[in-house]
Amino acid sequence: MWSNVTAAFEKAFALMGEGNTLLNEIVATTMEMCVQSSLYAMIIGVPIGALVGVARFPGRRAVVLIMRTLMGLPAVAVGILVYLLFSGTGPFGKLGLMYSVELMVIAQVILITPVVAGFTETAVAPAYDAMRDTAAGMGLNKAKIALLAVNETKYQLVATYLFAFSRSIAEVGAVQIVGGNILHKTRVMTTAIALNYNMGQFSLALALGIILMLIVLGLNVVASALQAGLKKRNG
Amino acid sequence: MVEISVTKKYGERTVLDVSGLRFERGRIYAVMGSNGSGKSTLAAILAGVIKGNGEIIYDVKKPVTGYMPQKSFAFDMSLTANMLLGRSLRERKEAKNKAMRLLEEFGLGEMRRKNAKKLSGGETEKLALARLMMDDCELLILDEPTAAMDVNAVERAEKTIMDYFERLRPAIVIVTHSPAQARRLADEVIFLDEGRVEEKGSAEEVLATPRSDKLRKFLSVNG
Repeated sequence: MWSNVTAAFEKAFALMGEGNTLLNEIVATTMEMCVQSSLYAMIIGVPIGALVGVARFPGRRAVVLIMRTLMGLPAVAVGILVYLLFSGTGPFGKLGLMYSVELMVIAQVILITPVVAGFTETAVAPAYDAMRDTAAGMGLNKAKIALLAVNETKYQLVATYLFAFSRSIAEVGAVQIVGGNILHKTRVMTTAIALNYNMGQFSLALALGIILMLIVLGLNVVASALQAGLKKRNG
Repeated sequence: MVEISVTKKYGERTVLDVSGLRFERGRIYAVMGSNGSGKSTLAAILAGVIKGNGEIIYDVKKPVTGYMPQKSFAFDMSLTANMLLGRSLRERKEAKNKAMRLLEEFGLGEMRRKNAKKLSGGETEKLALARLMMDDCELLILDEPTAAMDVNAVERAEKTIMDYFERLRPAIVIVTHSPAQARRLADEVIFLDEGRVEEKGSAEEVLATPRSDKLRKFLSVNG
């Protein structure tokens, strides 16, 4: 086993060092998918989470419960659902999105948005409780209060984005189903890892995994620097 | 200006039960009482932040109201940005000078670019008061506005409150534990006990010669 691991590390650094064209293409497709899906999930999920975090209405607890349950959506189930919707016989079949990066993004947005909304609500709700009386006393409307609550939790939002991106880059079930793992088109890191595993090429599969982790590490370094910069700027 | 008759319950416990309490412009009211007597609840209901059972009747229309809760909150931005919150871009330009002046009056001028989260408890209270005074309120409700301030800061804050009062003549309702502060500032005192008005009247009379045993005991403990 250890020889496989060692070989994997050697393979990983060799692949990165030689500027392998196919690897570069797979990484580029992965990044295209992950950046889009995580950003769209944030754009949709943060306002939903913030509004649920600051709103007080009958049934709010049930909404929060549903939101948190959706955080555990099984990736394969989402993949199958999206497949059925966008396949040739599906209601959106005419859009011609099957086996495309766009459809992979759609599937991932469905998966990741509840996570973003849930994390945002969890961060915003206590921030809102702390500021509620002051904000109400200033005559601010709910939308403004929600924005302020999000501002209070901006450091947590960076962490939420990191989680959204990590979920996206590590996801394989949905993207395999709706993307098809097509070479030069929809093959991403995780589907390439699965493919190489199925072909018995463990070292290569592990090497790709190591490269994926290095990408996530790089993003975490950037995010930490961003958080530190935010803290420094705010004195 | 406004008359309030409300009750407020949390579960089975009645925390407030007042009837026919009037607040008029050009008067300063001190609401006093022990912990749990309903002072903050009264302030919050009057400010419209929480709802009670009953009615709040305005003589003309709902007055422009400013409310400072017991626990002041400083938003995660500079002091200047805190002062300008809730204003449109056009309003901000005009309001900036006023914001600077108020920060100076409260001794916070040099910290105007500092993040408000870095302020001490007393400084946060000063910021909250200054922020309220950006608006020309007809009804100003202050829940223990100087609780965390030192003696010098209290004097400065009270002077600014009085200047604001003299300029605009709003109704000011101050929740306070301090009989000395009530003597300095208030025209009328409302003493609450277990959610009900135990005694009320002119500050001079009520504080000098309280009729209620509970108020007498409160004054002996709190000076």
